[in-house]
Amino acid sequence: MFAMKHNRVSNHKDTADGLSPKADGSATRRAWPPSFQIASHPMVAWATVILLILGGCSSYKPPDFKLNLEGRDPATVKPVQREAIEEVLTVLFGTPDDPHVPSGVDLDLALLKKAAGPIGRDFTGNERGLYRKHCAVCHGISGDGAGPIAEMLNPYPRDFRNGVFKYTSVAGGAKPLRSDLLRTLNRGLPGTGMPSFSPLSQEDLAALVEYVRYLSIRGETELFLLRAVVDENEPLPLRKQFVLDEGVRPVDAMWRLAEEEPEKYVVVPQRPRLSPEELAAAIERGKTLYQETRAQCTKCHGPEGRGDGSESELYDDWNKLKKGITEEQTHQLARWFSLPLQPLRPRNFEDGLFHGGGQPEDIYLRIYLGIPGTPMPAAGPAPGTPGVFQSQEIWDLTSYVLSLSHRGTETGRKVADRTGNKLSSESGMARE
Amino acid sequence: MDSASGSESGRQVFRKHTRPWSRRQWLQATGAPLVAATSLPLMAPWHYVAASEHYGGSVRGRFIFRGTPPERKKLTVDKDVDCCGKFDIRDESLMVDAGGGVANVYIYVRSRDVPVCVSVAESSARQVVLDNRDCIFKPHCLAIWRLRQELYIVNSDPIAQNVAFAPLGDLPANIVLAPAPGDNTEATWRFRRGQSQPFDIRCNYHPWEKAYLLVRDNPYFAISRDDGRFELAGLPVGRWELQLWHERVGHLQLPEWSQGRRTLTITGEDIDLGDIPLLPRDVGIGQ
Ligand code: HEC
Ligand code: HEC
Repeated sequence: MFAMKHNRVSNHKDTADGLSPKADGSATRRAWPPSFQIASHPMVAWATVILLILGGCSSYKPPDFKLNLEGRDPATVKPVQREAIEEVLTVLFGTPDDPHVPSGVDLDLALLKKAAGPIGRDFTGNERGLYRKHCAVCHGISGDGAGPIAEMLNPYPRDFRNGVFKYTSVAGGAKPLRSDLLRTLNRGLPGTGMPSFSPLSQEDLAALVEYVRYLSIRGETELFLLRAVVDENEPLPLRKQFVLDEGVRPVDAMWRLAEEEPEKYVVVPQRPRLSPEELAAAIERGKTLYQETRAQCTKCHGPEGRGDGSESELYDDWNKLKKGITEEQTHQLARWFSLPLQPLRPRNFEDGLFHGGGQPEDIYLRIYLGIPGTPMPAAGPAPGTPGVFQSQEIWDLTSYVLSLSHRGTETGRKVADRTGNKLSSESGMARE
Repeated sequence: MDSASGSESGRQVFRKHTRPWSRRQWLQATGAPLVAATSLPLMAPWHYVAASEHYGGSVRGRFIFRGTPPERKKLTVDKDVDCCGKFDIRDESLMVDAGGGVANVYIYVRSRDVPVCVSVAESSARQVVLDNRDCIFKPHCLAIWRLRQELYIVNSDPIAQNVAFAPLGDLPANIVLAPAPGDNTEATWRFRRGQSQPFDIRCNYHPWEKAYLLVRDNPYFAISRDDGRFELAGLPVGRWELQLWHERVGHLQLPEWSQGRRTLTITGEDIDLGDIPLLPRDVGIGQ
C-alpha cells in the first residue's frame, strides 16, 4: 500500500487548495496521532491543528475549489474544458470565501456564509469560517475528504462531492435529511475519526449542515459537468440554462425527495417495549434470522458476528474505483486518486463500536436501510422493493446484534458503555 | 417548488394533451422538472410536437469480429459454491459467436430531444427484466427507456442475491433478493435521470457477477444480439447522432465512428449499415 504513495499526482493533494503551504501540511501530517485519539478530544485537537497549519501563513490568498479529478488522468481534461467547468461552477456556486446559491436551489445562503470563508469574525462580531475551522483539516476545503490529515484515518473522511452518506434515516438511497446530518455532527461517528461537535451552538451546527449540503450539491453538479464536457464533448461555451436544467435542478430535486415526501422515504423506528424474557426470545429469533440464507449477514459479518465472513475483499464506493482486476492495474490506478486504496471491513459486533450510533434505533436503521456507499445491503422495504425482512424481524436482528456487542471484550464493553449501546433490563430495549 | 404543486402541474400537462394518438403524431419527452417526474405515474410528462409527414426509418447492421476471439476465461467462483460451483461461469466481456457476430455492443441515439414515434412508444414493453439465474445476471447488457419503462429485478436462484448500482446523479441501489422459490425475490426500480453511457450492476455477494444498464430518455437504443445484429427501429425523420459503446473500451472507436459517434440522416427509408468489422484492438485486445 505504501509503495503507491509516491506515484500519486501532487496536484490532487488537498494542501494545494489553499489550506496551507504544502510543506506545513505534510509536517503536521507526520506528527499527528491516529484517528481514535483524535476522536476522544476533538475540540482541543482542532484548535491545535488549525493553529499549526495557519501559523505559517503571513499573507492571505483566497482558496479555490479544486477540480474533482478523482480517477481521471488530468491530461485527458483539455485546458478549455477545465476552464469552462470551473467558470460555470463559480458563477453558480461562488468560491470557498463567497458562496452563491443558484436560484431555486434549497440552500440557505445566510447559513452558508457563516460556515464559509476564512476563520474569523465579521464586523458585528459573529463567527465566520466554521467549516475551515472545524472540518477542512479532514474533509478538505473542497469537501473532497482528502484534507491534510485524511490519509492517516481509517475509514477516510467523507468525500462529500458525490452526495452519498452512510448514516441516514432514508430508504431507497435517497439523500439524507438535514436532521440526519445534524445527528452525525452532534454525535460524531464513534470508531471513526469523525468527532462529535455537540459543544457548538445550534446555529453553528445548522450552518455546518447546510455547508455540507452545499458542497454535495456543488460536487454532484461538478460530476455532471465532467461527464458532459469531458466524456461527452458538450459544445463550449456551456449554456447556463443547460447546466441549470440538466445539472443543478435534478441534483436539487434529489435532495428534496425525502424532505418533501417523508412518508415514502423516511423510516422512523418504533422500538418495541420488551420484558427481559421477551428480549431473550427476541435475541434467539434474531440469531436464527441472522444465520438464515435470506439476508446473508454471515457472509460478511461471519457466523458469530466477528466481522470475519467469507466476503474478504470489500471496498466502499469511494475506494472501489481504485481497485483494478490485477495488482498491476491497481498500482496504475493509484496515480489518479488522492488517497491510496483502503479496504473496508464489515463490522465486528463484539467490539461494540457502531459508527452510526449504538442505540437500538440506530442499529435498526442500519439493518433496515443498509449502509449506502458500502456493500452492506438494505434488508428492509423501500419504494419498489419489498425487502427481505419486515420491521419485527429487523428488531429481532437488532436485539441479537446488540447482545453480541455486550458479550465482547473488556474494551469493547467499556466503549459500549461510553457510547450508550447497552442492552440490559435497566436500559436499552427493555425500557421505553 | 414543492412536490405537490410540481406533480399537479405535471399531471395537468399530461391530461391536457391526452387526445387520441394518431400514427403520425410524435411524442416528445419534455425536460420537465424532475420533482414532477418522480411523483408521477411512469408514463410521465409528455407533450406532442407537430405531426410529422413522414414515418422515419430503421437503422440496421451487424458487428463482426475480425480475428480470433480470445478464449473466455473461467471466473473464480468461491462463494455459495454448493449452488454456483456447478455452473460453467465465464467472462462475458467479449461475446463472439461461431459466425463472428459480436454481441452486447450498445448503439443509441446520442442527440437530445429526439421526438418519439407513437408506434415505438406503444410497442415498447413496460418492464425490462434483470434475472439472477445460474449465479449470473441475465441478460448481461440491458437498456431502459426510463420515462416509460421500469427495471424489474428477480431472483431465480435458490440462494440470496444482491443487486447494487450507483448511476451518476441518480439514487443508488443495494437490494437483497431472497432465495427462490419464496417471498421477496423481486423488486422494481425506476430511474430519475437518463444517462449518457451504461453503468455497471454488481452483486456484493458474488463478485464475479456483472451486468450493464443504459438508462435513456428516449427509446432509440439497441444492443447487438448473439449474432452481432442490431436494429434501431422507427427513428423519426431527421439528422441523428449515434453512439457506440462496449464494456471493454467504453465509447467504441471505429473507422467512420470517431469516439464511437456517427451522424446519419433519416429520410424515410431504412438504412442498412451492413457488416461493421471490429478488430481485436478496437475492443482493447493486444494493447
Ligand atoms: C478528524 C477528522 C474529521 C473532522 C475534523 C471532521 N470529520 Fe467528518 N468525517 C470524518 C471521517 C473519518 C468520516 C467518515 C466515517 C465513515 O466513513 O464511516 C466523516 C464523515 C462525515 C460525514 C458523513 C456522515 C455519513 O452519514 O456518511 C459528514 C456529514 C461529516 N463528516 C461532516 C463533518 C463536518 C461538518 C465537520 C466539521 C464540523 C467534520 N465532519 C469534521 C472525519 C472528520
Ligand atoms: C455484503 C456484505 C454485508 C452484508 C451481507 C451485511 N453487512 Fe453489515 N456491514 C457490512 C460492512 C462492510 C459494514 C461496515 C460499513 C462501514 O463501516 O462503512 C457493515 C456494518 C454493519 C453494522 C454496523 C453499523 C454501524 O453503525 O456501525 C451492522 C449493525 C450490520 N452491518 C448488520 C448487518 C446485518 C444484521 C446483516 C444481515 C441482515 C448485514 N449487516 C449484512 C457488510 C455487510
